[in-house]
Amino acid sequence: MPDPLVYLQAGGTAAIVSAIFVLMMGRHRVLQPNHRWNAATCVSLGLGLVTGCVLLSLRPSWPPVSGLDRFLIVIIPSVLVIEFTAGVRSLSPRLVWGLRLCLAAVAPRVLLHDSVYLSGTESWTSGQSLFVLCTSSLLLACLWISLAHLHERTADMSIPLSLALAILGAGLSVMMAGYIKGGTAAILLASVLTATTIATRVTRNRQSPAISGVGVVGLFGVLFVGTYFGRLAIDGAIVLGSAPLLCWVTAWRTADRRNEWLPGLVRLALVAIPVIVVLVLMKRDFDRNIRPLLGDADCRIVLPGVCCFYSANRV
Amino acid sequence: MRRLVSAWVLPALMAFIGLGSHMANAADEYDYDLVHSSVSFKARHLDISWIHGRFNDVAGKFSIDRENPAKSTFELTIKADSIDTANKARDEHLRQPDYFDTKQFPTITFKSTSTKPIDGGYEVTGNFTMHGTTKKVTLVLKGGKEHEFKGVKRVAFSTELSLKRSDFGFDKNAIGPIGDEALIFIDCEGMRK
Repeated sequence: MPDPLVYLQAGGTAAIVSAIFVLMMGRHRVLQPNHRWNAATCVSLGLGLVTGCVLLSLRPSWPPVSGLDRFLIVIIPSVLVIEFTAGVRSLSPRLVWGLRLCLAAVAPRVLLHDSVYLSGTESWTSGQSLFVLCTSSLLLACLWISLAHLHERTADMSIPLSLALAILGAGLSVMMAGYIKGGTAAILLASVLTATTIATRVTRNRQSPAISGVGVVGLFGVLFVGTYFGRLAIDGAIVLGSAPLLCWVTAWRTADRRNEWLPGLVRLALVAIPVIVVLVLMKRDFDRNIRPLLGDADCRIVLPGVCCFYSANRV
Repeated sequence: MRRLVSAWVLPALMAFIGLGSHMANAADEYDYDLVHSSVSFKARHLDISWIHGRFNDVAGKFSIDRENPAKSTFELTIKADSIDTANKARDEHLRQPDYFDTKQFPTITFKSTSTKPIDGGYEVTGNFTMHGTTKKVTLVLKGGKEHEFKGVKRVAFSTELSLKRSDFGFDKNAIGPIGDEALIFIDCEGMRK
């Protein structure tokens, strides 16, 4: 039975594993060049995620049969491999961006594979399917390009932390909409992203673009699976998905080096506002629709702040 | 030419028609009558009570060969989305990926692979697919009485089936106070095509 303490322990352990790896590798001379550090960051994220999944018994089936399986087995490893290869110096940035855009193009199709949306049994026509797949790919590509461009300008920890915050909000929203497993994956992802970002800040000044890349694809995947397989409302998903773009509002501050923390804090605050609004609305829907199914003793909600968990199996 | 037709073609045609009607008598084809049938289930809650529910959208067909019962076949397709536990919010919750994942696995199906006549019905073995997992199950179909009503021949069967949700890939973390085992009750009436 899912228990909030188990989630905290698993998320915390996954975060510690990622952070220890980063701290151990951070001082290593071989990894000093940025491109190699990028690859090391991918390993750190992967290790943390695997640890968290094992601790929470989140074992995707093979071959992947559900949207979440495909997200965990196909999409996340793909972005980790792409960001890892971005660390190979001989590869041109154009090729790396080609790979990223290819992933953005196929990710929605992979996630919806074999579902009612593409099998013709749902009310979607082939035109509607094409529209949803193309629009989703375009949104993912735009978010990725936009945040990567911003990262090149600032490269501080506020961008990956904003993504982690949005992923945490997405995970809690998916959970409150009734899809516990989908939310669990998001909480693990947010934990390892946060830990890797903070550990990187301790060892180096510049954040690795791999963290943002994995964060963007992770956020998209959680929202997409939560919307099309769970009951996350599409408007909430769009707000959560576009929240990290608010980091651009303070992009002008980066020229001012006198107070380097302030723009980052403003970015986080700006991203937090829509995330909290969506969480409050989701909590209202949760109280109205799902809470009556649960006994009060079973319903453990800790909002706002750290997290929101509930025992969803009280049906 | 006329002699050829009367001598060979007509008898052959009549024999073919006769054979066809004989075949139709041997194996009667029936469609699942949604109005007079039901697929319901119950599962334990907290191990002290039962939660009842049903699936409202079911289709199927069966063919009954009275002369050679082993040739009888049974098929049932249940739309998982049509789950109804008399609580709309709970139904929505049950459709989600932690339970039936109806967007990924829209149907629950049974297709017979072998049929054996038993006292008062048939023992039907077949493939039961739920939540993307297929298992071989054996159903004991009781009944099989025929009745003609308003010119339509009808036949009916009943069966009960006990399944473990964990055997069909349901999330073990989502089992908890809802018992792993679910009892499924199928009462189906078929109308001859």
